[in-house]
Amino acid sequence: MLLLAQAPKAWHRLFQLKPPALPRTPGEAQHVRYRLLSRQGPAETGRQDQPQGPGLRTRLLITALIGAGLGGVWLAMRAEKEQRQQQRRTEALRQAAVGRGDFSLLDHRGQARCKADFRGQWVLMYFGFTHCPDICPEELEKLVQVVRQLEAEPGLPPVQPIFITVDPERDDVAAMARYVQDFHPRLLGLTGSAEQVAQVSRSYRVYYSAGPKDEDQDYIVDHSIAIYLLSPDGLFTDYYGRARSAEQVADSVRRHMAAFHSVLH
Amino acid sequence: MAAPSMKERQACWGARDEYWKCSDENTEDASQCKKLRSSFESSCPQQWIIDQLRWFYLNIRLKRAEY
Repeated sequence: MLLLAQAPKAWHRLFQLKPPALPRTPGEAQHVRYRLLSRQGPAETGRQDQPQGPGLRTRLLITALIGAGLGGVWLAMRAEKEQRQQQRRTEALRQAAVGRGDFSLLDHRGQARCKADFRGQWVLMYFGFTHCPDICPEELEKLVQVVRQLEAEPGLPPVQPIFITVDPERDDVAAMARYVQDFHPRLLGLTGSAEQVAQVSRSYRVYYSAGPKDEDQDYIVDHSIAIYLLSPDGLFTDYYGRARSAEQVADSVRRHMAAFHSVLH
Repeated sequence: MAAPSMKERQACWGARDEYWKCSDENTEDASQCKKLRSSFESSCPQQWIIDQLRWFYLNIRLKRAEY
């Protein structure tokens, strides 16, 4: 008998395991309805005499403000991180400008030259050799055409054209002087000992390899073909292969000049 | 042996171009271009001629290549 009386209570207890939304008594129903309503929003204020908690709009507003605050903090932190990265990059460039790519060579007048001599100038540099059949003369002709085009434009700084030999065995100072005169009065020829040429070629990642000598002791030097652009900080900025025309190279140099910011002060 | 001057280079290229134009036109009969060939051979350093095929193909390939 007691069991039977207790059974309904047991059932109720089971129901208690479910979400507490289910009312057990009429009084509770009122309470639960209030809670449901406040969860769902201010759709039915109905018979509420207790003050509502913060409405949905207010809560959304507060969430938005907190979100915006967090977003702002995140953006500020990201900007600071980017600025630090930029500073590190600038510092690395400054060290590279001073330390890397340095060379010590003789120009075609016999004067010693190093990279620091060209600081403050834009440089267009080509590696080749005077016994070259046609590629070197063509590329040098293209290079000086670019220099002439840019010279003709007022307001642009002058570009220093440089020709560096990859054949130091044959291309001494006199040979370089004979060669460069055919192209441009400002074209500077640079030569040196085998070690000095090897060093500058390494710095600028230029491949070169002398071929076999024929009966006239003549030989071709195989080498990578590119015109290098150096900024006034002495940093490698761009390179141009055979396929680029003089106009394309001049355009590119103009763009680099416009975008340039020195890292050396 | 000094490197060819600009004038000598241009003479060599001119002779080369004449010879090539001729041999392009007369692919069947190479003997037509014998005179131009000997002119080419005398205008250019031997190394440039030996290198001619490589030089020629290099030019064609490089002019087509995209850098």
